[in-house]
Amino acid sequence: MAISRRNFIKNAAAASAFLALGVAPKAMAAGPGDKVDNWVKGVCRYCGTGCGVMVGVSNGKVITVKGDPNNHNQGILCLKGALLAPVIYAKERVTKPLIRKNGELVEASWDEALDLAASKFKEAIAESDPDSVAYYGSGQALTEETYLASKIFKAGLKSNNVEGNPRLCMASAVGGYVSTFGKDEPMGSYNDLDAATCFFIIGSNTSECHPVLFRRIAARKQNDKNVKIIVCDPRRTNTSRIADLHMSMKPGSDLAILNSMAYVIVNEELDDYRFHNKYVNFMTNDKEKVDFEAYKVFLADYKPEDIEELAGVPAAQIREAAMIFAESSATTSLWCMGINQRIRGVWANNLIHNLHLITGKIGKLGSTPLSLTGQPNACGGVRDTGGLSHLLPAGRLIKKQAHRNQLEEQWGMPKDSLNPKPGLHTMALFQAMNDGKVKVVLTLCTNPAQSLPNVLKYREGLEKCFNVAIEAFSDAISLKYADVVFPPAFWVERTGVFGCTERRYALVEQAIEPPGECRPSVNILIDLALRIGVDPALIPYKNSDDIWDEWRKVSAMTPYNFEGITRERLKKESGIKWPCPTEDHPGTDIRYVRGEDPNIPLDYPDKYHFYGKPDGRAVVWMRPQKPAAEPAGGDYPFTLTTGRVIDHWHTATMTGKVPEIARSFPNAYVEVNTKDAKRMGINHGDNVKLTTRRGDMTFKARVGDVCEPGLVFVPWFDPKLLINELTIDAIDPGSKQPEFKICACQVEKV
Amino acid sequence: MEDQNKCCKNKWVLLVVALLIIFGGSILFYTQTAVSGTKCEAAKHLKSGEEAGDCYTCHLKTTPKIAQDWFESKHGVMLVKCFVCHGLPDGTGSIEYSANPDPNYICRRCHDPAVTMMEKKFGMRAECNDCHKYHSNSVHHDAYSTTESKKKMDQ
Repeated sequence: MAISRRNFIKNAAAASAFLALGVAPKAMAAGPGDKVDNWVKGVCRYCGTGCGVMVGVSNGKVITVKGDPNNHNQGILCLKGALLAPVIYAKERVTKPLIRKNGELVEASWDEALDLAASKFKEAIAESDPDSVAYYGSGQALTEETYLASKIFKAGLKSNNVEGNPRLCMASAVGGYVSTFGKDEPMGSYNDLDAATCFFIIGSNTSECHPVLFRRIAARKQNDKNVKIIVCDPRRTNTSRIADLHMSMKPGSDLAILNSMAYVIVNEELDDYRFHNKYVNFMTNDKEKVDFEAYKVFLADYKPEDIEELAGVPAAQIREAAMIFAESSATTSLWCMGINQRIRGVWANNLIHNLHLITGKIGKLGSTPLSLTGQPNACGGVRDTGGLSHLLPAGRLIKKQAHRNQLEEQWGMPKDSLNPKPGLHTMALFQAMNDGKVKVVLTLCTNPAQSLPNVLKYREGLEKCFNVAIEAFSDAISLKYADVVFPPAFWVERTGVFGCTERRYALVEQAIEPPGECRPSVNILIDLALRIGVDPALIPYKNSDDIWDEWRKVSAMTPYNFEGITRERLKKESGIKWPCPTEDHPGTDIRYVRGEDPNIPLDYPDKYHFYGKPDGRAVVWMRPQKPAAEPAGGDYPFTLTTGRVIDHWHTATMTGKVPEIARSFPNAYVEVNTKDAKRMGINHGDNVKLTTRRGDMTFKARVGDVCEPGLVFVPWFDPKLLINELTIDAIDPGSKQPEFKICACQVEKV
Repeated sequence: MEDQNKCCKNKWVLLVVALLIIFGGSILFYTQTAVSGTKCEAAKHLKSGEEAGDCYTCHLKTTPKIAQDWFESKHGVMLVKCFVCHGLPDGTGSIEYSANPDPNYICRRCHDPAVTMMEKKFGMRAECNDCHKYHSNSVHHDAYSTTESKKKMDQ
């Protein structure tokens, strides 16, 4: 190992300083002196941006992580990605199977643990029916893992109780895309961010939750100072630092604001009549087809001056936002949990699509409604492969007999042998555990005891139910309720595919061997299924490569075409965007456009074709304003909202293991507006008690102007101060996604 | 008499030397105990106190120019925080603590294509910072002059 002069002097100085102090130098994880033996291509473990990474391995150990220059992120990583390596070597890693004996989790052999788990599944199915067992997965599991688990439960055990945490984060976005365009997933890609001249960001703190995309937006504005950025959010976050217009809305007024922007666009005649006349149907909330004039009448209730009090946004700002949106040459909308985690999240999604459809700002480079996702493989693993209780792979539905029959044929099952009844959605599933109807659950790579809303209510069910968990970290609170724990190979310890926000699928290649007795989750799932008694012919796989090949075949001939995304290509290329029908197809940047989308024949007469809908027209839905399930008022005058911070990711089981992050950001806090704080005598750092109808909790205050007056914010990463004990579990009747973002609370200095 | 004088002089010299040694020793003792081996004042705070790794909060008071430069820089706008490049001052972080991060190791994690290009053109540089100021590489021209943060600052 070569040591530079500079390093030698530095080390010598450090060594003498340590000698003088009489202490030995501490072991450091990695530094400039360590030489990387080989770089292995992968995808970041954290958010849905899906940044490409290169994992630096030395002596069989990951010592550093850098950005993949060939992936969409062009080498850039955020602070979490740049400090990913230590997570792998956390001392909290589960490395042996564990089973609960006399209330304690103790080490066991693989055989013992697998047999115990399998016997409980068999027992429950024999005693009642297949609906008494369930799978609760994750947008962090590999595509192959989710596809396999879904097949084991739906085809092998005949239980459609297959759910996952994406129900908590993007079910409303799915509902929005499906109801407006007929097919799930965005039509655009990150390339649109480099061409947009207007960004409309609503309900997203892009800067902290998708930092690498935020950098791309900021770079776009830097390259062209005429680019306009509109942020609509009740919090003035770091994202607003680059905004030209920040609309500080009242929580729960999103639907009214979006309709009001449509009002301005239509009344100022900024709509693209030629586009919407040809490619759009206008529909009432009751699915009745109407004309553009009826839509205008519907919008009459949303004149900016009439809703400014409700929205808390000056009418002039709504007008300005609408004008910028419609008059810019290319507009991209971005949204995330602020829109999705609402009791009318699907409607809010529809209304964003409406703005693009009436202005024709869609299907052109730089113009697209792009929903941001929170997890690395929620789009890929769960949405596309059908890892939810009402879905079958590639956009097929359980309730449709024709769809079931297609899968039965492909999976080599007798006709009409799949269970025709959709399973329980996430919140109903955990309620069924409370009620004792679901008796055994398998969770994979998720931490529901922290991430569910109104979480205390559901811990009863977690205790009652026999819990089998595949979980990498022993300090995940959900393991308090686990009866069997299987240790999985983590991140780059096995090979598999992640699919990110822009429909891009990329391979996470195995870089190192898993520690202890950890095994890839696909092998754990296969072993468990065989012991439960699933037909071996259904799961004839050796590894995740075999599962990927089957998924490609299952997706072929559907609009979700993965056939050309072979394992070999994924090894060479840093991600490919579906639809991709053949091995020489480069992947698709823009869907629904002739010449771009391989699902549209080149001789199709029209430029656009929304083939998800029977008549090829997208839908402009007339969705009315709907307040939150529990708006602030009366005894609970404040609105409580929750969210993420840039340092931590989800339940902090990973970011909590990075010393730099854990020590700079150990605790949750409550953000209070300066005016509110002054009125109540709260100073920075004071203890503040938050009380909702579900409980109370005390946090240190951070006083500032991020939150609007009347709003308080608490990040949800901290298991010690678990804000989800206070959040509400009201759900969107369409998407079944809970309204984490808004509930009423009291604020009191203690 | 001369001997006595010489003896006296020697005594004074000895006393001065002894005092110097004691004085110097106490300074050395103070610096070695009050400030850790890495010579960063923050290191001692890291051993106790919550959010001790939050460098920015203290640096805003102790080195306001550096803190403000960072806040206004690209790294500040993108929230590339202190510890991402510098590690933790007491050396317990996952990367080595360094006041001057090594470009080959630290910068390459995000700017590999740029570092490689510069290396090809001019050979590996010891400091990217000589030309591309880590803390004050501001967002060029007036792209953000009308943005919310500027408006707020002007008020």
